[in-house]
Amino acid sequence: MKPICIFLFILLGWQTGAFQEQRKSMVTNQLEKRGIRDQGTLQAMGTVPRHQFVPKLQQRFAYHDRPLPIGYGQTISQPYMVAYMTEAIKPQKEFKVLEIGTGSGYQAAVLAEIVGKVYTVEIVPELAGQAKERFTELGYSNIKTNHADGYFGWEEYAPFDAIIVTAAAEFIPPPLIKQLKEGGKMVIPVGSPFLVQTLMLVEKKKGKTTTKSLFPVRFVPFTRSN
Amino acid sequence: MRLLSAIVILSIAVISYQLVLMQLLSIVQWYHFAYMVISIALLGFGVAGTIISLFKKKLMQNLNFLLPALMMATGFLMAVVVSVSQSSLVRFDSYLLFVDYSHIGKLAITYLLLLLPFLTAALAIGMTFVGYTNQIGKLYFANLVGSGLGGLLAVGLSWVFTPQQLPALLALLPLAAALWIMPYPFTPKWLAVFFVNLGVITVFIFQPVPIKLSQFKDLSKTLNLPDVEIIHEKASPYGFMQVLSSPVLRNAPGLSLNFQGAVPVRKVIFKNGDWYGSVEPAYQPGDTTVYDYTTLALPYVIRKRKKVLVLNAGSGEAIALAKSKGAASIVAVEANSAVISLLSNELSKETAGLLTGPDLTAHQESARTFLLKDTSKYDLIVVPTIGMFGGSAGLNALSEQYLLTKDAFHEMWGKLSPGGVISINCWMDYPVKNPLKIMATLIEVLLESGIGEPRGYIGVVRSWGTVTMIVKKTPISAQEAALVRSFCDRMLFDPVVLPNLETRERTQYNSLQDDNFFQYIDTLFSKQRPALYRNYDFKIKPATDDRPYFSQFIRGKSLSRLTQLFGNNAIPFFEIGYLIVIITLVQVTLISILLIVVPLFRLGWRGRGRSHVLLYFGGIGVGFMFVEIVFIQRFILYLGNPIYAAAALISTLLIFSGLGSYISGKVAISKARLSNIFLGIIGLLLIYSFSLTTVLQQTIGLPGFLKIVIMMFVIAPLALLMGLPFPLALKRLNQVNPKLVPWSWAINGCASVVSTALATVIAAELGFRWVTMLAAAAYGLPLISTIFSRK
Repeated sequence: MKPICIFLFILLGWQTGAFQEQRKSMVTNQLEKRGIRDQGTLQAMGTVPRHQFVPKLQQRFAYHDRPLPIGYGQTISQPYMVAYMTEAIKPQKEFKVLEIGTGSGYQAAVLAEIVGKVYTVEIVPELAGQAKERFTELGYSNIKTNHADGYFGWEEYAPFDAIIVTAAAEFIPPPLIKQLKEGGKMVIPVGSPFLVQTLMLVEKKKGKTTTKSLFPVRFVPFTRSN
Repeated sequence: MRLLSAIVILSIAVISYQLVLMQLLSIVQWYHFAYMVISIALLGFGVAGTIISLFKKKLMQNLNFLLPALMMATGFLMAVVVSVSQSSLVRFDSYLLFVDYSHIGKLAITYLLLLLPFLTAALAIGMTFVGYTNQIGKLYFANLVGSGLGGLLAVGLSWVFTPQQLPALLALLPLAAALWIMPYPFTPKWLAVFFVNLGVITVFIFQPVPIKLSQFKDLSKTLNLPDVEIIHEKASPYGFMQVLSSPVLRNAPGLSLNFQGAVPVRKVIFKNGDWYGSVEPAYQPGDTTVYDYTTLALPYVIRKRKKVLVLNAGSGEAIALAKSKGAASIVAVEANSAVISLLSNELSKETAGLLTGPDLTAHQESARTFLLKDTSKYDLIVVPTIGMFGGSAGLNALSEQYLLTKDAFHEMWGKLSPGGVISINCWMDYPVKNPLKIMATLIEVLLESGIGEPRGYIGVVRSWGTVTMIVKKTPISAQEAALVRSFCDRMLFDPVVLPNLETRERTQYNSLQDDNFFQYIDTLFSKQRPALYRNYDFKIKPATDDRPYFSQFIRGKSLSRLTQLFGNNAIPFFEIGYLIVIITLVQVTLISILLIVVPLFRLGWRGRGRSHVLLYFGGIGVGFMFVEIVFIQRFILYLGNPIYAAAALISTLLIFSGLGSYISGKVAISKARLSNIFLGIIGLLLIYSFSLTTVLQQTIGLPGFLKIVIMMFVIAPLALLMGLPFPLALKRLNQVNPKLVPWSWAINGCASVVSTALATVIAAELGFRWVTMLAAAAYGLPLISTIFSRK
């Protein structure tokens, strides 16, 4: 029994080390090289164990440059997209951030490394339950999880400095705009599963709400031929 | 006679089972697996031919035992394989094919599993052909007539039974056929096997294994929502319709960020597991709705619309908006009678008179057929929303969209009253494709209609997620432009195309990272338009009736650049629908060579006339399938109903081909006669490729039964001729070089298997006219073979 335990311990240690290496390489090659500059974001991405947020069978792909299925028709976003969204809200330590669509909980964990408080809402009960357990296991005490309809946001803790909508719908729920602080930022990724390419930034300034499309991948096809 | 009846019954079962599988795979995955099912069925026949060739002697010795045994096995497998393919070990997911490679293996296992019932049925049919050569004409006739009837039966049954029940229900047919030819008096062993089979099938009829949808289907995701309930289900040949209710289901596509109210909870309709639309009530004139806060309201901003035509009305969202705007006359066109029935009956409380009232006329037919028949003028023509929020990963790449072709917009343009508009709403996608292609279509339609400066006739407004375009019969006036600007200010939308538009107006509320989108739009109005078509990384040249694949965008030459930009992993998701058909094509080519051709090398590829056999049987295999695929498309538009058109066409084609085969048994073969048959086929195909469109357009307004008669007049002579070459040559080959008979089966089988997917790819790349001409060219190969053969 003892040799088996030692073997498993060594294996676990080796695997953890391997994941750390992969995470480091992810930050360097997928994030820094593509222009992610915010130090808080880079540090958080280098700290959160992404492999703990994906199904066991997908762990070997956890740090690959792509989204992965997590069940229930949902995906964990590509690392670059998570970093891009985090950077887009210009996160500060004192921020209170609302996340709509907890999913695996990875985005909330990355935010929790940077900001003071993260409130995350998930409509699928199984995903909400799994994420809550994961946060407790990993010691994220500054994340509050709620299984509810994201349409209503989380009025009890509003207003928020920033809102990240990870599960975008055909419309932006009016309560979310209401719960965004004056000067606050909301980001919404737009794209089909496995192919998220655009990000929409909603800003509330002087009572007016405007949007800006941000393209993580810049696409300029026609100009090359002319 | 018993044998002939059994063959008819078995053939009915095979074709109807094939159609049911197509619908089932459309539900659990997406429609593009239809091509896979067709090729699986054909592969079954190809492999059976090879097995018969290799083990002919043994099989023929046990013919009386094997025939009923194979038919029973077919029944059993038809009832069971669908359930097995739904088990977690085998079930694959389209999206995961490119992420989790174990799903490629699962797809291959599914392919082989689904092949089994077709293989056993084909073995039974093939063995009768070989065992009763003297009756080959009659048997072939029975096979084709049965296949023809199978199409009609599948359509009829799909009104009554759910797609889950149908495989087991159809499994009763091969069982009945087996009973019909079982050696009499029945031995206890036969009876035991029969009743065990019957028991298994009965269990599956009453307790079908629930089908599990891809977790990425809209329905699967919706079923994860709290307190969700399927409140109505309706089986129909248009698709399996389901209505869901949940306190969290809401619909407000592209809603303005200025909307302060509550988005109402709605029941939602799904078709084959895909979102179909939300159920809206009939608003009263003057009611304010969430749609007033979307770009969909644009055509009503300029002026009140008295007479509105809603094409492909779906669940009735556009009708609801027109009613709230006080339209005096709304004409709604929808081909899917199942959804009309749901809205009028089961959901009548929710719709509250949406489809009734003196202001509404509903037409149950395809939008294009209606456009061609109708002679009225309209103040507003509404085209259904194009694309999906966030894009669809190219799922619809190979679906024919006849309402989005240039020909369709020409017809709409002709129906506008002075001051009337066509309104098209479109989701923004990225890289931008849909809005550019539809804009290109509108501009070309206006130019071809003699409008020298289309810009003055088009108004485009963009929200954070949608673009709505209106095309006006007369130029947009300064006053109308001012109304649009005011609407944009109230809703936080931006004008994209409007008279006297300043650049800064285009991004006042919703800015883009760069102005490429606007540059492309402006280029489309300029003489540089053809250059943009050539140089853009996606196909944005307008779709036509000849190439009605509006959503097919990817072009081979751009792949390496797109890979550089988006990475290897993203590429499959640009056009997953097209890619799956290509994968199917490659897969079936390899599998059919492996399972049909390679085993025959045991018999040897020797003797004179090999090249003739290759040309002859390969040519008629390709030609027949090309004709079938292309004519289904031609008549979908003509008959106005894709389901009935496909069933009617396949049935006519097979029945008349069967008649041709029947006649072949009574005709003496000669080189001259065969050559004339091929010349006849080629001649007819060439005539059709150039004149069929005109004939169909001239007669499209006739009543439905007359159109079916016309279709039969068009198809019958061609089908009759196409049914002759195979049995005629087979009979001759059997006399002069029997060793090549198995090869003739195999080559024909292989060619047929590959041609189904190939015809679709060619249609997408070159158009239906080319497929028809290539079919004629394919029939030229057996003509050459006949002319140059010695005997």
